[in-house]
Amino acid sequence: MSPLSLVSWTPSGSLLTIAWLLLPFLAAFLAALLPRLARLLILSVVATTLAMALAAWLGWLPSELLLLGPLGVRLQLDPLAAPLLLLAALVSAAVLLEGWGRDPDKPFLLLLLLLQGGIDSAIVASDLISIYVAQEVVGISTFLLLVRGNRAPQLWIGLRYLLLGNSVMLLYLLGAALVYREQSSFALDGLDQSSGIALALLLVALFTKAEVFISGLWLPRTNAVAPAAVSALISGGVVCAGLAPLLRIAAAVESVCPLFRWIGLASALLGLIFALAERRVARLLAWSTISQMGMVLLVPAAGGLYALAHGLAKAALFLVSERLPAVSLDGWSAQALPWRHWAPLLLASLSIAGAPPLLGFLAKEQLNMALAGPGGGLQAVAVLPGAIVFLSVGTAAVYARLWRLPCNAAKAEEGQPASPGALLLVAALLLLNLTPWALEAWRTLMDQGITQALLKSAGLVLAGAGLQRLWPRGADGFGLPDLEGFDDLLGGAVLVGAALMLLLGQ
Amino acid sequence: MAILDAIDGFRVMEALLLLTVFTGLVGLLLRRSLFLKVMGMDVMGTGVIAFFVLVAARSGFRTPILDGTDAVLGGQGWADPIPQAVILTAVVIGLSIQALLLVAITRLASVDPSLDGSQLDQLGRD
Repeated sequence: MSPLSLVSWTPSGSLLTIAWLLLPFLAAFLAALLPRLARLLILSVVATTLAMALAAWLGWLPSELLLLGPLGVRLQLDPLAAPLLLLAALVSAAVLLEGWGRDPDKPFLLLLLLLQGGIDSAIVASDLISIYVAQEVVGISTFLLLVRGNRAPQLWIGLRYLLLGNSVMLLYLLGAALVYREQSSFALDGLDQSSGIALALLLVALFTKAEVFISGLWLPRTNAVAPAAVSALISGGVVCAGLAPLLRIAAAVESVCPLFRWIGLASALLGLIFALAERRVARLLAWSTISQMGMVLLVPAAGGLYALAHGLAKAALFLVSERLPAVSLDGWSAQALPWRHWAPLLLASLSIAGAPPLLGFLAKEQLNMALAGPGGGLQAVAVLPGAIVFLSVGTAAVYARLWRLPCNAAKAEEGQPASPGALLLVAALLLLNLTPWALEAWRTLMDQGITQALLKSAGLVLAGAGLQRLWPRGADGFGLPDLEGFDDLLGGAVLVGAALMLLLGQ
Repeated sequence: MAILDAIDGFRVMEALLLLTVFTGLVGLLLRRSLFLKVMGMDVMGTGVIAFFVLVAARSGFRTPILDGTDAVLGGQGWADPIPQAVILTAVVIGLSIQALLLVAITRLASVDPSLDGSQLDQLGRD
C-alpha cells in the first residue's frame, strides 16, 4: 500500500469504481439524446479511465471489490489492470481525435462509448460471469462497429465475428457451469482446483477473444475489411478485453503457465510466418498482432506492459496506414511519403521491433528479464532462448518492409494531412517512458547492464532489416494455406478446444 | 428394477445436455447454410442454459422463496438460486445476439440467397 492510499477499504472507494464503470453506459444514453455532447462525453470517459488506471497502478483504491456478497460480482482494480486500461483509453482517445475535424459520426461515437465501457468492465472483472457479460458487451459493440458501412463484405465480416465469438462464449459458459458445480463459486481463485475440462472450455473462448494462435485467425480478414479506426480499436482495446482474463487466470492457476508458454510460442511463430509472406498492409499488421499476442502469453506476469507497448504502436500503424496511397506493400517502395506519415510509421514500427528508447524496447527487456527469472521458463525449455531471438529478428524483418519507404520532404504539400490520433499514440510511446514505473524499470535495466541490452536490440533490429533485404521477392505467399474461411475459423477454435481438453484433462 | 435404481438421474440428464451442446456444435461446424449454423448455435445455447438449470437443481427442486410458513431456513430440498439468476443474463444476451445475427443474415440474403458460408467467404478475401 502506498502512503497515498487515501481511499482504502471504504464504501466510497467501491462507489467510485462502480460510478466509473457505469459512466460510459450513462454517457452513451446521453449521447443518443444529445449528440452534440458525444465528443465531450467520450473525452470525460477517457479521462476517468486514465485516472482509474493511475489509481490502480498506485494502489489508491481498494484493489479488490466484492459486491453482493461472496458469490456476487468481483472486481479487481490492480496493477495488472492498469496498463490495459491505459491502452484502451489512449486508443479510444486517438480514434476520437482522428475524426475531430470532420462532421461527428453520431452512431460511431455512441458505439465507441459502449465499447469503452465493455472493455473497462472486462479488464477489471474477476469472476467468471462478470467476465462473460463484459465479453459479450464488447463483442456486440465490435460487431455493430464492423457492420456500420452496411456493405456486404462488412456485414459478412461482422457476422462471422459475432457468430464465432458467441459460439465460443457458449463453451465458456459451459466451462463456468462446470466450475460452479465443482466449487460452488464463480471466483477465479477456485480455478486451480477445478477440472481440466472446465478450464479448457474457458481458455478456448478467451484465446479466441485475445486473438491468439489458430483460434485468432479471424483477425486478418476482419482488419482488411474494417475501417482503420475500427481496426485500431480491435488491436488496441478489444484485445485487452480478452487478454485481461487470461492474465488473471494465469495468475490464479500456476499450472497453466507452461501451457500458455507453448501456445504463446506457437502463436508467435504462426503469426510471424504468415506476416512475412503477406503483401497487404492491414493483413500484415493483423498477422503481426497474432504473433505479438503470443509473446504476451509467454510470461503472463510481464504481459501487461508488453500488450500496452504493442497496442499503442499497432493502433498508430493502422491509423497512419489508412492515409497512405496504396494498400499493397509492393507499390510502396516506389512512392515517397511526406514526413508527417513517415515519422509515426517509422517510430511505431520501431517500437514493436524493440528499438530504444521507445516503450517497446522496455517491454521486450522486461519480458526477457521475466523469462530469465525464477519460473520464467528459460531454463525449463531449452529451445526458448533461440526461439526468442528468432522471433525478434523475424518481427524486425516484418516491419523492415515498412522502413524501406523513402521519405520526401518536398512532397509535404501532397496527400492527406497528418493523423492526429497516430501522433498522440506515438507521443505516448515516447512519453510513457517518463512515468515512475517505466523509470523504475529503466533503473533495473541500468543495474543489469544497459549497454548490453542496447547492443543486443540494435543487433536484432539490424539483423531483421538485413534478413528483409535478402528476402526472396515475388514469392507470393510461399504457398501457405488459406486458413481464414469461416469453417476454418470454427474448426480452428474447436481444434484448440479439443487439444486443450486433452492437455489439461489429464 | 435394480438397474434403473443404480442409474443416477442427474448423471443421465447431464450427459444428455452435454450431448445437446455437442449436437449444436456439430451442426454449427457441418451445416453449409448460414441460417442453419445460427440454429446450431441456438441449440448449443439451449443445452448450456438447461445445464445451468440442472446444476441449480442439484441440491433440490424447491423454489428458494420463503412464503412465511417455512420456519426453518436450513430445510432440505432448496434449489440453488445462483446459477438460475446468472443464466438469466445469458438468456437475454443470447436472444439479442441471435436477433442481430438474423438481421445481418437477412441483409446478406440479397447477396447470396442460398446463404452458403463458403460462397460468402469470397466477400472478405480482398
